[in-house]
Amino acid sequence: MANINTGAQDRTFDAIVIGSGISGGWAAKEFTEKGLKTLVLERGRDVKHLKDYPTTNMYPWEFKHRGQIPEAIKEEAPVVSRCYAFKEDAMHFFVKDKEHPYEQDKPFDWIRGYQVGGKSLLWARQTQRWSDYDFEGPARDGFAVDWPIRYADIAPWYSYVEKFVGISGNKDGLDNLPDGEFLPAMEMTAVEKYFQGFVSKNYKDRNVIYGRCAHLSEPQPIHIEQGRVKCQKRNLCQRGCPFGGYFSSNSSTLPWAEKTGNLTLRPDAVVHSIIYDEQKGKATGVRVVDAKTKETTEYYARVIFVNAAAINSNLILLNSTSSRFPQGLGNDSGVLGKYFAFHNYRATIYADYDGFMDVTTEGRRPTSAYIPRFRNVKKQETDFLRGYAAGFDTGRRKWNSQDGVGTSLKDQLFNEEMGNWYVGSHMMGETIPKEISQLTLDKAKKDEWGMPVIHINLGYDDNDEKMIKDFHEQMTEMYTKAGFTNIRTGDSKQAPGLDIHEMGGARMGKDPKTSVLNKWNQMHDVKNVFVTDGACMTSTSTQNPSLTYMALTARAVDYAVGQMKRGDL
Amino acid sequence: MLVNRRTALKQVLVVSAGLALLPSCLRKTTPASITLKNIAVDGEGENMLALLADTLIPTTSTPGAKDVKAHLFALTMVDDCFKKDDQQKWLTGMKAFSALSEKNNGKSFGDSTPEARKTLLELLEKSKPEDGEAAYFYHATKRLIVQGYTNSEYYLTKVQVYELVPGRFYGSVPVKPAGRKTA
Ligand SMILES: Cc1cc2nc3c(=O)[nH]c(=O)nc-3n(C[C@H](O)[C@H](O)[C@H](O)COP(=O)(O)OP(=O)(O)OC[C@H]3O[C@@H](n4cnc5c(N)ncnc54)[C@H](O)[C@@H]3O)c2cc1C
Ligand code: SF4
Repeated sequence: MANINTGAQDRTFDAIVIGSGISGGWAAKEFTEKGLKTLVLERGRDVKHLKDYPTTNMYPWEFKHRGQIPEAIKEEAPVVSRCYAFKEDAMHFFVKDKEHPYEQDKPFDWIRGYQVGGKSLLWARQTQRWSDYDFEGPARDGFAVDWPIRYADIAPWYSYVEKFVGISGNKDGLDNLPDGEFLPAMEMTAVEKYFQGFVSKNYKDRNVIYGRCAHLSEPQPIHIEQGRVKCQKRNLCQRGCPFGGYFSSNSSTLPWAEKTGNLTLRPDAVVHSIIYDEQKGKATGVRVVDAKTKETTEYYARVIFVNAAAINSNLILLNSTSSRFPQGLGNDSGVLGKYFAFHNYRATIYADYDGFMDVTTEGRRPTSAYIPRFRNVKKQETDFLRGYAAGFDTGRRKWNSQDGVGTSLKDQLFNEEMGNWYVGSHMMGETIPKEISQLTLDKAKKDEWGMPVIHINLGYDDNDEKMIKDFHEQMTEMYTKAGFTNIRTGDSKQAPGLDIHEMGGARMGKDPKTSVLNKWNQMHDVKNVFVTDGACMTSTSTQNPSLTYMALTARAVDYAVGQMKRGDL
Repeated sequence: MLVNRRTALKQVLVVSAGLALLPSCLRKTTPASITLKNIAVDGEGENMLALLADTLIPTTSTPGAKDVKAHLFALTMVDDCFKKDDQQKWLTGMKAFSALSEKNNGKSFGDSTPEARKTLLELLEKSKPEDGEAAYFYHATKRLIVQGYTNSEYYLTKVQVYELVPGRFYGSVPVKPAGRKTA
């Protein structure tokens, strides 16, 4: 618990990191390894690796509702209940709607994990690199602003984090999805391999690959040193993994940071705002409200990293007002909170396949195959901007007939039948950040911790609708030609947010007049504050974003520490 | 033809739930063995569900649905995971189901012979959930009992073994002709 009685000296650190999730964990690891006394402030409770995974070793029959969420909880928390991973085995790692209200100017499903480790405990662990086709998107297609970095700037940092995280993947040699530092891939199914061959033979520039994911398929010494061992393919990752088989802050970066002796981790510490000192012309620390006692404490440091996840990072910055920055910290440009965006996950396509009836799969696999973006990659070819990637997953249908009564029913329940293969894809579409897509504060309405309630105003546009149509058309054609049958397209119409890839609001850019952060994720206007989570993203591209947050974080810490050593910070 | 058969079946299933039951004040009720928050089901109702479970998936040389308490799982699910409307429909259906037994067998479900119980379920098996109150109750309950049975410790350790830690994934293995398991 934060102690207000200690002197300012005891509350002074070299670096403060706000948030202990995927990006904050990386900031903590990098700072502490480089010898800086680092304070990590986390609004949620502590979750210790292994110790605090209460459901991790439970069998299906040990769950009272066999995984299902009781109706009373669904009624009280409709937003989080729409997340596919919000089940009986992991619901304790999610924020329930009522605990932390927000305003939706348009429907927005905000999925949050407030605890040490943040959403790193819950993520689906898909980790694809960006390429220059992604970084050059806004400049080429004339939206948002140009990214201040290119692939070459971040490539070594992708490698750096991948080696530590442990990424299972194949070297595919694709220029639109660069290869990384990979541990061996897990297997693709017979049907996935067939479709892979079919697509590469019949389509120029379209590919089906094994989805790169943060699993230790073959742990290296650096992973063993973290106390993690080989992924046992339980596919129960959202419970927290007793093997450390997948990457989370809890299993990897935070314990690593702790071992250096330089880490102070404060759970239950709600960062209210960043303190700006006009005389010094920089931020001096943060104001923290104790989540339980509501006591306020100030902590000080030379450098502050904001890693509260995209929306909360915007909230903290917008709430950090002073006479120098009446519109929010570092917001001379006026774009803070604007140009917010997400990934379009609405469209799906399912089908059957009657080939390969003599083979099946065995065991479980915590990942799937992946179709990198193929639309508008090298040049504009459709009437919508940008494009989409897709997951691709297949399996053999197995079921027990449930017809009948008595011994005949029982007999069927004892004897599984095998059907044909199912195949399925979901789209992951790039959306265009727009000025009207905004996060704003309702100053009149405060939450329990004295934080203004955030307004989220974000919706689909015509570009998104066209992209959904194109996904359905292109995938239907590919599925049909490949001989898949019973093709069913779907549009979930789900609200933005359920993709859990919200990004922007404090975007990076070259020009301080139109962006909040420079190419080092450093605030143009407040040099000792860095934002390296989703809030920094200038555009969204189609890849699952967390790997990029990690690489940007490690890169930004390296830069910040260099500046500190030179006395510039 | 088919339409006529369905209409005929629906007529068979129609009962007046209120009439066939004794007024509850005349009966001594015992509470159910588990605490229920939202639905009123007493010990008698629980016993009927246990018999229903046992008729659906009987005890043979191997445990049946009642042995693994699949009926209690069904009760828990209706109590916790059904919407309010569906809970009411299910309770009404439960009464209609009792009444149907009285009408067809001249006896409560519990007092009927095992054969008569099975015949009643076989009749309902031909229905669709939307064919009436008893039909809704039967199909909803059957689904839960099958779920409870196939997710029970017995089933997942002895029939289709659930591996908490498989440690492997193979994308393509030959389909082995499986020997039939005796239920
Ligand atoms: C079910 C699911 C599946 C996903 N799948 C993928 C995937 O396959 N690939 C991928 O790349 N991404 C995936 N994601 C998204 C991924 O989890 C996030 O991108 C990632 O966790 C973001 O990292 P972060 O550090 O920005 O935020 P988080 O990991 O959310 O951490 C933020 C932390 O900050 C804390 N915090 C917030 N406000 C404050 C405050 N005021 N003061 C102090 N602390 C605060 C929070 O409590 C939290 O612990 C998935 C997410 C979910 C939920
Ligand atoms: S699939 Fe791997 S990482 Fe996930 S729970 Fe299992 S062992 Fe852990």
